[in-house]
Order: sequence, then C-alpha cells, then structure tokens
Amino acid sequence: MTVETDHKALADEAGARPGAPLTMVPSGGKNKRPIRIEPDLDFIRVLGKRAGDTFIRCFQCGTCSATCAISPDVEPFPRKEMSWASWGLKDLLLKDPDVWLCYQCHDCSTRCPRGARPGDVLAAVRQECIQDYSFPRFLARWVGQPQYIPLLLGIPALLLYLALIFKTPIENALGLAPEIGPRISFAYSSVFPHWLLNSFFFFFTGLMFLAAVVGIIRFWRAMKTSVAATVATAAPRSLPSSLVTVFRSIITHDKFSLCTAMSSRLWSHVSILFGFLALAVVTFWVITSGLNPVIRGDFVYPFSFWSPWKMLANIGGVAVLGGCLLMIYDRFRDRDRFSSGNYFDWSLLAALLLVILTGFITEILHYVRLEPHRHIAYFVHLVFVCGLLFYLPYSKLAHLIYRTTALVFAEYTGRGGPAGEMPETTGTAVSREPTAADGVAVEEASS
Amino acid sequence: MSDKKLATGGRRTIAVAIAVLIIAFPLGYSIAGYLFAPGDPDGPPFLERPDPKYDSCVRETVFMRYHHWELLRSVREEVVRYGKRGDVGLSKCRDCHTSRERFCDKCHHATSLTPDCFDCHYYP
Repeated sequence: MTVETDHKALADEAGARPGAPLTMVPSGGKNKRPIRIEPDLDFIRVLGKRAGDTFIRCFQCGTCSATCAISPDVEPFPRKEMSWASWGLKDLLLKDPDVWLCYQCHDCSTRCPRGARPGDVLAAVRQECIQDYSFPRFLARWVGQPQYIPLLLGIPALLLYLALIFKTPIENALGLAPEIGPRISFAYSSVFPHWLLNSFFFFFTGLMFLAAVVGIIRFWRAMKTSVAATVATAAPRSLPSSLVTVFRSIITHDKFSLCTAMSSRLWSHVSILFGFLALAVVTFWVITSGLNPVIRGDFVYPFSFWSPWKMLANIGGVAVLGGCLLMIYDRFRDRDRFSSGNYFDWSLLAALLLVILTGFITEILHYVRLEPHRHIAYFVHLVFVCGLLFYLPYSKLAHLIYRTTALVFAEYTGRGGPAGEMPETTGTAVSREPTAADGVAVEEASS
Repeated sequence: MSDKKLATGGRRTIAVAIAVLIIAFPLGYSIAGYLFAPGDPDGPPFLERPDPKYDSCVRETVFMRYHHWELLRSVREEVVRYGKRGDVGLSKCRDCHTSRERFCDKCHHATSLTPDCFDCHYYP
C-alpha cells in the first residue's frame, strides 16, 4: 500500500470528494475559521523514508503523549505531530517548537500500540527543519546525502592545503615573522603556523556563526505563528530568564534523566557534551595563548602529558569517545524497539568519532616522534574538525542551535513549565477547550 | 515520581558541580600559577642562551628549533653508514649549549618527548 492511496482512503472516509481540497473546521472553541489542508505528499514520502513507513499506521490513540514525561498538558506532543505528519502538513510541523522539545528517548515509540514510532517521526521532522531553515540551503542538502562526502571534506582539505602551500608568500606579504619568540613555541608550527590555523578557523567559524544566526532568526519567526505559541501552560518568562532556565536544563540534562526506555542515552550525551566542553576550553586557551596576560612565562605546545591542560584534553577526548561508543551500542542493542538511525544520524556520530580518533592518533604519533606521519595525521584531524565545525548549522549538530532556540521559545511563551519539575498530571488535569490542532471535523472547502 | 526527582535533583547538581570543577581546574591552576609564581618577562629566558663561542648556529634558529633532530638524525646516518664526519654533531652542540638540563630538556620535557640520543651520548 503506498502512501498516496492511504491518504485517499482517509479522505474518502472523511466524506470528501476525491481530489477536492479539504477544510478542517474545529467543532468548538474560539477559533471558528476553517483551515484549508493541502497535504504535501512529497513530505509524507520523505518522512516515510526517514522514519519508516510505519508512521501512517497511527490511529491517534494518544498513548505517545500520555506516556511522554516531558510533554506539556495542553496540546501535548507527539500526538498532534503524528496527525499532522499523516496529513503531510509540512508547514505546521516545521514551525512547531514542540518537535524540538522531544529528546527522542523512545518512551513513546516503545509503547505505541501500532508501532508507528512517533519519536522517529519527530526526529525526521527535525532533520527537515534543519534543511529548511538553514542558510544556504544547498549546503544542508549536501550534508544530508552520502554522495557529497568527498566534496564536503574535499573543500576544506583543499583550502587548508593551499593555505599551507602558500604560507611563505603570505607570511612575506603580510610581514609575519616566523614564530621564534623566546617564550611561545608550537612544535607543529614548522608545517602548520599558528597564525595560519587561527585565521583559517576564525574566518570559516565566523561564516558558520553568521549562517547559524540566519537559521535562528528564520526559525524564531516561524515559531511565532505555530500552534504551540498560542497555548501557554505556565507564565511566560523574560528572554534572559528563559535563557538561564534553558542553560540550566541543558547542563543538568534534567529532561534526559526522565527517559525510562533507554536510560543510557543520558550518559552518552552527558559524556559527549562535557567532553567537548573540556576540549573547547583547552582549545580556546591554546589559540589565544599569544594574547593571554596570564601566560607570562614559557608556553610550549603540545603540552606535556602531565600538564593539567593536556590531562583535561585527554579526559575530554576519552569522554567523547566513550559516549560515541555507547551511542553506537545503543543503536544496535535492540533494533526492533529502538531506532538504529539513518544517514543523517550516523554522519554526525561518524564525524565525532573521526575527530576524536585522528586527534588521539596525532597525539600518539607526536610522542613516538614520527615525522612526517604526525603532520599528516594532524592535517587529516584538522579536515575532520572543519567538517564537524563548519557544517554545524547543516548537520545533526544543528540541534545545538535549533533545539536551544526552541527551548528558549517554549520558556519565553510559557510552554516550558518549571525547569526540572514536571507538573503532576494526576488530579491537576485541566479541562481544555478543543482547538484547531484537534482536527475534529473535516468539511469541503467549497461548502 | 516527584520524590524520585527531588532525590536525583541534588545528586545531579553535585555531578554538574564536579564536572565544572574538573573542566575549570587547569584554568584555576594557571591563574594560581600566575598569581603566586608569575613568570618574569625580563627574567632568564625559557631556553638558556648559548655560550657565544660562535656567532651563529649551523642553521637558522627557526630551522634548528623545529628540525634539529632531523638534522642530527641525518648526520648520524652519514657517520654510521658512510663514515663521513662533518661539522655538525651532538658533541659539537655542547660547545655552545653547555647544559642539557637548561637547554635540551626544557622543550623535551614540556612536550613529553623522550629522545633516545642521550641514552648513548654523554651530554652534561
């Protein structure tokens, strides 16, 4: 059975003339304006490809929303998103902040009586969001397809290689003296000068930041018109207060720890996040060493193995590596119950692993004093770092910006609820007005 | 459920505090080092200045800093395999860079490198 015939059957069941545009009218409540439905069949097909065709089995029982520990009481997810997905309502889904409140803990997917895997559907929608809001969009399309790997990694590799080839003319033109200061010394700088790496990465990371800001602005504007923006469950917060709440929620992983179906996800994500935080702190210390007033004595890089900075970097690297391995194990642990991920999911995990492994290989080759092997390893490592960093707004790593934006938006509009404390659902259930998202009646548009 | 959450909430705060402490430790260590044992920019340099027996080294300073070991390795090949003994050699380095501890070991220790040169060659 194809998706199209199923949609037709749904339309017939609802009493509509085949082919006629459908109009959904809420049976009660304030909003009496009919909503015209234009199912996006291509979008249904895309979702089916990414999340499995099983999602059209959803019969709207609401088990997913009831079982979800972090879903709000009013207009809960993922039930309404499952309905929109079946109807191919791409517009509603893409601007829905609730899609990003989900942490894909598989609690709903494992309890769905129809095996429709709502968690996977929301993940597929998030992927579509990243590809729709990011700027420029073609980069997001490339990142989502395996055949573009050589191109995506080839571009930074070629640029870095050209920069290294022409470093001496550039050095002479800009009047940059070779680094032979009495205090600061970089053992790799005979091949990779400090100024070259700094300017290369600052330039492209700057571009990445600009692209991320464009994505955030587009996403925020879209969310303002979403259904979730109209149904607050708590008092709205100010923007700074929302940011603080979301930041606290992210570092404590309070939502992750509510996961019951796959509790190990908490540990893999904690390891990777804090591991990268450690690596970022060390990186920042090293790249700013020339400007750092605290470094008044000698500064030699790479650090000694027992230097506190090196120890922190090694601990961070091991943490990320362990987190990645746990994530891979989780994806294969129970392929019937848990999602094993599509290309979009795996490409981020692979990029993380390659960055960490090439980093460790470079470090080991440095200790065993192999030249030029350590420089080649370092080059490969830098290319993978480029891949991870420069394509951040287009890969799954874009959840860093989109999820944070959606979480802030939820707090800002009063949909987030108190941080870390979920309201008790028993006894305090609010009687609610039916709203547009319920989709209780379907009529013809012409009548 | 809320009882469980309250119980884990305290633990979670402690865990985050420990993680932040670990991540901030090197920063604190460096700042403490700066406050209590600041490096003196006008003090003796990191690497001991060579005895000015000769005007310059066998190669430029930049080359020597990063490639001295490659030079020494090629010299070793020349001597051991072909018996060609030139002007460059570890024993010649000693003429100007008199102390291994104050010159060679400085960088080697700082980057956790243990070259095997000194296993055979005497260098005070």
